[in-house]
Amino acid sequence: MNDIKSQATTPQLSHARDLSRPGFYVKLALMALVNAFGVYGILASYAQEQWAILGVLVVTLIAADYIYFSKRAIPAKYLFPGLVFLIVYQLFVMGMTAYVAFTNYGDGHNDSKPAAVRQISLTSEVQGGESFPLTVIDRGGELGFAVVVDGEARFGTEEEALAPLDGATVENDRVVAVEDGEILGMPQIVERQEEVLGLRVPVSDEPEDGSLRTRNGTTATTSLPALKYDEATDTFTNAEGKLFRANSDQGVFVADDGEELSPGWRVVVGFDNFTQMFTDSRISSLFASSLGWTFAFAILSVFTTFALGLFLAVIFNDPRVKGRVIYRALFILPYAFPGFLAALVWRGMLNRQFGFVNQVLLDGNAINWLGDGNLAKLSIIMVNLWLGFPYMFLVCTGALQSIPGELTEAGMIDGAGPIKRFFNVTLPILMVSVAPLLIASFAFNFNNFSLIYMLTGGGPNYPGAPILVGETDILISMVYAISFEGGNRQYGLASALSIIIFVVVGFISWLGFRQTRKLEEIM
Amino acid sequence: MNEYPATQATAVSTIEQQTPPRKRKVKGGALRWWGEVGWKHVFALLFIAYCLLPLLYVLSASLNPGGTLTGSNDLFREFSLQNYAGLSGTNFWSWFWRSMYVSGVTSIGTVLMAASAAYAFSRFRFKGRRGGLAALMIIQMFPQMLAFVAIFLLLLGLREVFPFIGLGEPFGLIAVYLGGALGANTFLMYGFFNTIPQELDEAAKIDGATHAQVFWGIIMRLVSPILAVVALLSFVSSYGEFILARIVLQRPENYTLAVGLYEWASDERNAPWSLFAAGAVLAAIPIILLFMFLQKYIVSGLTAGGVKG
Amino acid sequence: MRKSLIALAAGVSVVLTACGGGTADTNETPEPTASETTEATESPSGEATSEAPADGGTLTIWADETRVAAFQQLGEMFGEESGVTLDVVQKPTGDIGQDFIAQAPTGQGPDMIVTAHDGLGQLVENGVVAPIDFASKADLFNPVAVQAFTLEGNVYGVPYAMENIALVRNNELVQDTPATFDELIAQGKAVEGAEFPIIIQQGPSGDAYHLYPIQTSFGAPVFVTDENGDYTTELGMEGENGTKFAEYIQKLGKDGVLSADLGGDQAKQAFLDGKSPYMITGPWWTSEFVDAGMDISVLPVPSAGGETAAPFVGVQGVYVSSYSENALPANQFVDFLSTKEAQDVLFEQGGRVPALIESAEAVDDELLQGFNEAGAEGQPMPVIPEMAAVWEFWGGTEVAIINGTSPDAAAAWQTMNDNIKAKF
Repeated sequence: MNDIKSQATTPQLSHARDLSRPGFYVKLALMALVNAFGVYGILASYAQEQWAILGVLVVTLIAADYIYFSKRAIPAKYLFPGLVFLIVYQLFVMGMTAYVAFTNYGDGHNDSKPAAVRQISLTSEVQGGESFPLTVIDRGGELGFAVVVDGEARFGTEEEALAPLDGATVENDRVVAVEDGEILGMPQIVERQEEVLGLRVPVSDEPEDGSLRTRNGTTATTSLPALKYDEATDTFTNAEGKLFRANSDQGVFVADDGEELSPGWRVVVGFDNFTQMFTDSRISSLFASSLGWTFAFAILSVFTTFALGLFLAVIFNDPRVKGRVIYRALFILPYAFPGFLAALVWRGMLNRQFGFVNQVLLDGNAINWLGDGNLAKLSIIMVNLWLGFPYMFLVCTGALQSIPGELTEAGMIDGAGPIKRFFNVTLPILMVSVAPLLIASFAFNFNNFSLIYMLTGGGPNYPGAPILVGETDILISMVYAISFEGGNRQYGLASALSIIIFVVVGFISWLGFRQTRKLEEIM
Repeated sequence: MNEYPATQATAVSTIEQQTPPRKRKVKGGALRWWGEVGWKHVFALLFIAYCLLPLLYVLSASLNPGGTLTGSNDLFREFSLQNYAGLSGTNFWSWFWRSMYVSGVTSIGTVLMAASAAYAFSRFRFKGRRGGLAALMIIQMFPQMLAFVAIFLLLLGLREVFPFIGLGEPFGLIAVYLGGALGANTFLMYGFFNTIPQELDEAAKIDGATHAQVFWGIIMRLVSPILAVVALLSFVSSYGEFILARIVLQRPENYTLAVGLYEWASDERNAPWSLFAAGAVLAAIPIILLFMFLQKYIVSGLTAGGVKG
Repeated sequence: MRKSLIALAAGVSVVLTACGGGTADTNETPEPTASETTEATESPSGEATSEAPADGGTLTIWADETRVAAFQQLGEMFGEESGVTLDVVQKPTGDIGQDFIAQAPTGQGPDMIVTAHDGLGQLVENGVVAPIDFASKADLFNPVAVQAFTLEGNVYGVPYAMENIALVRNNELVQDTPATFDELIAQGKAVEGAEFPIIIQQGPSGDAYHLYPIQTSFGAPVFVTDENGDYTTELGMEGENGTKFAEYIQKLGKDGVLSADLGGDQAKQAFLDGKSPYMITGPWWTSEFVDAGMDISVLPVPSAGGETAAPFVGVQGVYVSSYSENALPANQFVDFLSTKEAQDVLFEQGGRVPALIESAEAVDDELLQGFNEAGAEGQPMPVIPEMAAVWEFWGGTEVAIINGTSPDAAAAWQTMNDNIKAKF
């Protein structure tokens, strides 16, 4: 301990600017590259007007130059590369999730308000039955449509309703030549498609006759807008005069009688998503049972995989066992196959009537592995053991190497038996390096949505329940079931609920982590 | 907190002095051999059956040109390599090599970044060290449910500035994976680094070594088992990851194996199960080979002799 | 200090190699940084645009693995006519709709997607698909297919293929099929060596889709249809007929005819192994049965409740994104898809009954015609967004009745109806 303290009081200076060392020039070359890269990025993001990226790049570059040319900040020299990636890729996801948790993002609220207005206008046009071969004409920069109605060529623009067109040549009901203006060919139409698609040519001076519009540039159809948007009042009005007002608390146009226009848009809804969990009675009633199972699942998963992995690691750490190179390689096989494939196979193997476990191992017994609540829980633990022990086996095999052989041999001389030696000497040392991993594994399993989803889908469901949640649903899969209930995806709600779970797990993990500190101090 | 290795090192040396080097050969007949070693073989064989059983379904399906994955317990009813040959008519091998590249680079990057972070945490005392460690662990637990939106938007923006780490680029995916390089791996290494006596560093520094020389010349050599473990863990996790990969790598020509296999299996009705099974079997081989190769580093035995070096 | 930088250096050098050669094998040039911002498509399309500047640019379309080849061929045909390049991007089936909804608002989504009609409600709810002009062509198409792509008066996609389930018979075990479902079961039970009289796949969370022909034969459709044949939101499976159906499947469950253990995998294998004379399934597996050397016929499902057994019809089609910045050529492409020429290509490559009547009549395949006849009375799967909730409650309740978890079939069925109604 003493040397650490002295180190803390007189910080060691690095040789960051020691020109006599060749390493300095290697560093200089690397930093030149980093700077070139950074400056290029800054210029490029400036050109692309990517201001957020520009800001991050400037800060990162300054930090990099400071850290690597400073004589202090030695730990930062080692932490910086990993931190850059962590901050860019993980914190962005965190920020995004946190932001979405305060919005109503999800089905029906997928984009911004202008997009919603545009889409409502687009889909509310009532399509008339008539369609005409179309010619698009440019008259002095203004576009117009020429069509043949009852054998007569007619022309109109946005402002002027269809009127007879003099001097037009008509072939097969299509205007092919005009005196005034220029007929646009397809490449020109495509080039000006925004104008062409947006053009509405009134059929007559009576608005209820509708207007002509085109979607493909070659045919025009009559259509009548069923809803009119008024920008000044921010409302839609339908043909009967019914008013739909923009409700910016909910992100939707809504009439007085409650009728809503689809789609809505994304708005910030404050803490609504967070409070919903406590106000929805369906959730709170199922919450308790799910909470207990979630803890049981997470703890048992960690315990079983660790116990098995450690056991294997210890007994095959024995050089006297011939062939252990092969054994070990086979032990990690479950780890080498895609997890979703393993879950599919296990589901088949646990099938009541046809599965391998019942039919072959249990001689045709019809044990309802996945259909009975308790057995399904057992099945989940067993399958997770199969999936998870190779990880623990690898970690323990690696960590065991840090325990000097002499130490265990010392125990041997003391006359301690192998089991006592293991628990008194090996395990405590091992725990120093693996305890944080056990906590991380606990947190991972606490949120192990994919296993539950693939193996049982949360089932067996509570029959008749108003919400499709089952006995094997853990908290996170319940969150999914609720937030994406019946295919209605509420990302805002899901984010909020999963952040609540994160706070719970994070707190528990932090408590556990403080314990590991004590563990280190005992050492 | 580093008292343990120090005291231990002295304790060890005294023990060594007291007891002459022993070459303990197992004697005492078969009974003792069974008690100490033999049962482990029996256990291993039984256990391997447990490990392999589900995989036999996959192997069986891969050798059967038609049929289903788990529809029947009548395994190996047909034996045909047709599916394996059929893989060459797909993008499989391109996915395979891209996976090697992505996972290989990710794994090397992760080892380097996690090891240097662990070194900083283990050997330096700085403000926020403990908090930083805790934060690292807790950040990894943050729900990733919106990752698919966030990563898409992020790489969309990055593509404008740095096309090679943008959407659709394997290196963009590697960068996303490296975002998780610190985390559990750092802890594993941190714990391991702590068991290496600090006296070694001090001695080297007195001899004029810089902290970088200590890191690369002493520490990194002593921790090779855990480097190998982390390399393997990170290789496997990026090798099997398909949720982020399918967001980043938009086109089948750019897929990694995990995404490609997922796509084959994603259409329950039209899924080419037998092709998929053959692909999964082949996909597992590199992991096994990598482990066989790394095994000698993992169990190289960080002997006390080495520590005292 | 020097070596602590190597981690970073390794990163940088890999960056540089990746930049230089890492992507060469993908034959893809990264989009130039100062790319045309008008280009709504993805980087590879940007490249294509610059190659063919005089033409209509590039259209991006997402299709799943089974349809990529067909659309590539159509893209070439369309390109010859219009000069527009069609960039077909392969996506996993289940991801197309969801990724499209998420990515369209960024302006980086595709111009069109190929997917089944039953996601229409969700696509419209999120405002990501645009209506197309279809009025002049509607009469040329199978009305069920048109209805499938219609929502609130707008047609949102061009249908091109239809599929539905039917009764598939193993001709080696039985050769004639009785008129009612009960007789069929009796016949199937009498077949020597058959383990099941008929196979209808279920699974732990049920499968209302495969039971639907039986349900409709009791006169209990999921929703009541209005005079135009469009679904209303009034539940048709509530009431006496629905209860009769619930009691019927309860009986089938007790008799062992229906089993929750018979998932898709098990069902397919059992039929392949000749363990049953009949199976209710769709065209996705019959080709595999034929490949395995089986002699099969496809027939309408016999009635169990007295009325016609009508399956759901699923329709494949192409939607245009409402965010497409190349909407005009995209609309021209979907116009092209409604020609016989295009529908024939889709049939040849996809093996499903075309939605265009003229193309469908030209199909010369007994099995497909069998499916077509069985689907003639069918209704499209409903497209309302709430349908996902309906499926879950529906299948879950059926499986609970079949395996005896819910002993009172009528009560369970009523609870299901109440739960579904609570969603509207």
